[in-house]
Amino acid sequence: MSRLRIFFSSAVFSFKAQFSWLNPSMWLTMKFVLSLSQMAFFVFVGLFIRGPDVISFIAIGNALQVVSWNTVFSVVAIAAHDKWDGTLPLVLATPASRLPLFIGRAMIHVLDGMLSVAISFAFAAFLFGVNFGQANVLTLVVTVLVTAFTMAGYGLMIGGLAFYFREPVIFANIFLFILLVFCGVNFPVKDLPQPLQPISYVFPLTYGVEATRSAISGASLFDISTLLGQQLLVGLLSIMLGYFFFRTFEHLARKTGRIEAV
Amino acid sequence: MPQTLRVIYSAFRMAMLHWIADPQWVIPNIIAPFVFTTVALTLFKDSTGPFGLYAVLGGGMMGMWGNTLYSSGFAIEFEKWQGTLEEVLVTPSKLIYIIAGRSASNALFGLTNMMAVLLIASLGFRIPLGIENPFLFAISMVLTLLSVSTLGLIFASAFVLSRSAQTLTNGLEIPLYVISGSMFPIALLPFWIHPAAYALGPTWGIDAIRLATSQEYSSQTFWAGMSVDVAIILDLAVMSLLSLTYVVIASILFKMVEKKTRIQGTLVEA
Repeated sequence: MSRLRIFFSSAVFSFKAQFSWLNPSMWLTMKFVLSLSQMAFFVFVGLFIRGPDVISFIAIGNALQVVSWNTVFSVVAIAAHDKWDGTLPLVLATPASRLPLFIGRAMIHVLDGMLSVAISFAFAAFLFGVNFGQANVLTLVVTVLVTAFTMAGYGLMIGGLAFYFREPVIFANIFLFILLVFCGVNFPVKDLPQPLQPISYVFPLTYGVEATRSAISGASLFDISTLLGQQLLVGLLSIMLGYFFFRTFEHLARKTGRIEAV
Repeated sequence: MPQTLRVIYSAFRMAMLHWIADPQWVIPNIIAPFVFTTVALTLFKDSTGPFGLYAVLGGGMMGMWGNTLYSSGFAIEFEKWQGTLEEVLVTPSKLIYIIAGRSASNALFGLTNMMAVLLIASLGFRIPLGIENPFLFAISMVLTLLSVSTLGLIFASAFVLSRSAQTLTNGLEIPLYVISGSMFPIALLPFWIHPAAYALGPTWGIDAIRLATSQEYSSQTFWAGMSVDVAIILDLAVMSLLSLTYVVIASILFKMVEKKTRIQGTLVEA
């Protein structure tokens, strides 16, 4: 019961904490402006280079990639603000169980990320003419949920690693934008140079983007179950790795007495 | 040296020293333009036509944009975190001169971003980067750089008042890439966005830079059909006029911001 309480309080608190650097109206503006502008940029580039056939492919890819802003940037920002605002020693001093505390940090961002994706899908449908007529709604909702959850795992992994560095936000920027290259968001993974293609499957988003395109084409949950299974596996591995980074950091911080400097 | 120039130079030097002391901050502002260029070049892989030129020069331009915007936002936020913004505001020098020096330094770093994008395109993607008219190219680059930094002044004035300067920066970055048609002709944008595109100096700057780079390219502003040299000069004239307008707007905004912060005394809370 206590672990569950820690999990929920960590989830709610981490979401509230982001409003120390982001006021609610700005949060809402970002939600609409960022998702639309990123999608528009790549749709127009694709339209210019390859013509109207790629609009749907690019719009769907970017609609899903938006989830990373919540699940990667916001989650890593928690680590950054813990360092900047001097709250990290307090977090490490608490007797609370570490696993729910650590995982809980990303969980409301899963819901927030799903909301961002829903807004982006609306842009894709109404501004760029993506046809959702064939979509299997249940498959689509499950895919977006699994993608948001596994990307939160990825965010926790980067967040865990970011504890070791002076400016975690730099990490967030790097690992957020490389998703646009590797995850089949704007072009199929097979368009990448052959040696780079295996890297794509390290990111949960790659599986999510493929599954989302299938769900919009009408695929059932059974049809994409293998993809979702692989995505969950990669997401869970990311969480475990992130937790390992966090605990090792904590151990090092206690051992050397240099919490912010580690 | 006249006092105004001395203030601008000191702010310029200070920004340079900050950057040298903590160069890791160059990463966030080059990563987006670099990734966007990579995506465009990968899409361009099997295509023919002037797309490579659009992608590479557009990516470089975005590098300058990103750097100026990011640094304008971050410089103010950094002062707030360190508690030095109040000291900067109470110095007898006008805030706009201080920010102008910083903006110029940020735009100059943006130029290095552009060079990095050009180098990567040339070495990594084998995009030929011959320049048709090096003289006009150099002039277009310098004036565009100045235009970007004058636009940075307007953003910086708003950032002084905002608690979310850095978030605003993130939110503004990509819309500006879209509106200025950095990687595609603005003709592709909905008609109602065109006035906003023409109100941005860099829209004209990138047109001049592309015209100076390749004969394959035809002007995307109002000068299609004119000779290349005339089109470039007209582009640069409009951009310079817009840059002067930005300076005037920024001066007014900075006066208002200074007055408001002094009267309300809420700078730290902002």
